[in-house]
Amino acid sequence: MDHSHHKGKNYMDNSSSTMPPSHHHPTTSASHSHGGGDGNMMMMPMTFYFGFENVKLLFSGLVINTAGEMAGAFVAVFLLAMFYEGLKIAREGLLRKSQVSIRYNSMPVPGPNGTILIETHKTVGQQMLSFPHLLQTVLHIIQVVISYFLMLIFMTYNGYLCIAVAAGAGTGYFLFSWKKAVVVDITEHCH
Amino acid sequence: MHFVFSDKVMLLFDFWSVHSPAGIALSVLVVLLLAILYEGIKVGKAKLLYHTLSSLHTPASQEHILERERDSVDSDSLLVSRTPLRWLLCHFGQSLVHVIQVVIGYFMMLAVMSYNAWIFLGVVLGSAVGYYLMYPLLGKI
Repeated sequence: MDHSHHKGKNYMDNSSSTMPPSHHHPTTSASHSHGGGDGNMMMMPMTFYFGFENVKLLFSGLVINTAGEMAGAFVAVFLLAMFYEGLKIAREGLLRKSQVSIRYNSMPVPGPNGTILIETHKTVGQQMLSFPHLLQTVLHIIQVVISYFLMLIFMTYNGYLCIAVAAGAGTGYFLFSWKKAVVVDITEHCH
Repeated sequence: MHFVFSDKVMLLFDFWSVHSPAGIALSVLVVLLLAILYEGIKVGKAKLLYHTLSSLHTPASQEHILERERDSVDSDSLLVSRTPLRWLLCHFGQSLVHVIQVVIGYFMMLAVMSYNAWIFLGVVLGSAVGYYLMYPLLGKI
């Protein structure tokens, strides 16, 4: 706590200078204090907290120390989460549009009171060497990377950033899933 | 960092720290219910979406649904223009449910990351029970 405060002050003293030194300084002071025997700097928080001092975000250069930086990070994370939702829905729509060979396998299942429901399964065939499939693969890579980033951001246990992730997901879902069809991917997990 | 069967664990919030066997049992129960709720929300979301679409639509038989799937875009935009307010409310509710689902999903991930084997078993068992209980409900739309 004491060290993080000290570091925050150093950062603010330096903030009037150009960007690269101010970025350089926190990392050196962090490594210095670690060498001094303070293990607290490297410890990750294990419970939720609200704070904007010494929040490490994904990369070594991204350390949040001021309220303004936290606001910027909040907006960035919010947009990232929104983009993630949009990407998921766009991929789904793209897949539906590019399907040329859709087969509907219907099978009757007994309903609640003597009625018979028809359960319909959609089988999708896509050619491996085709532009839509390659596009889907590239988008899938982006989706996986973003979803891991969002997970790691949530793992910082920072209350503001977690709220940004959740609010972004909600807003993205609200904005992009207007035309979502009946088919719902029920097997999706973790997100 | 490895899994341990311990009765001391700190979960998510600083007030949720457990030091006793009774506490860990309670925590596992909470996590289990959370996992069941997560599976339930997934099914509930699908059902809600279905009900929204079918209540806004004319009485839906399966042929209608197939048709709607094929030209979902224009029939949906037709729906939007017909009952905008109701659709907006339903959609807003769905977005809220989605937020809850996302948050619970992340909470479960963080709970597993405590590397407490009891908690981990609670999450897995909860998912199993939730899946077993909730997915049959999906057929009874």
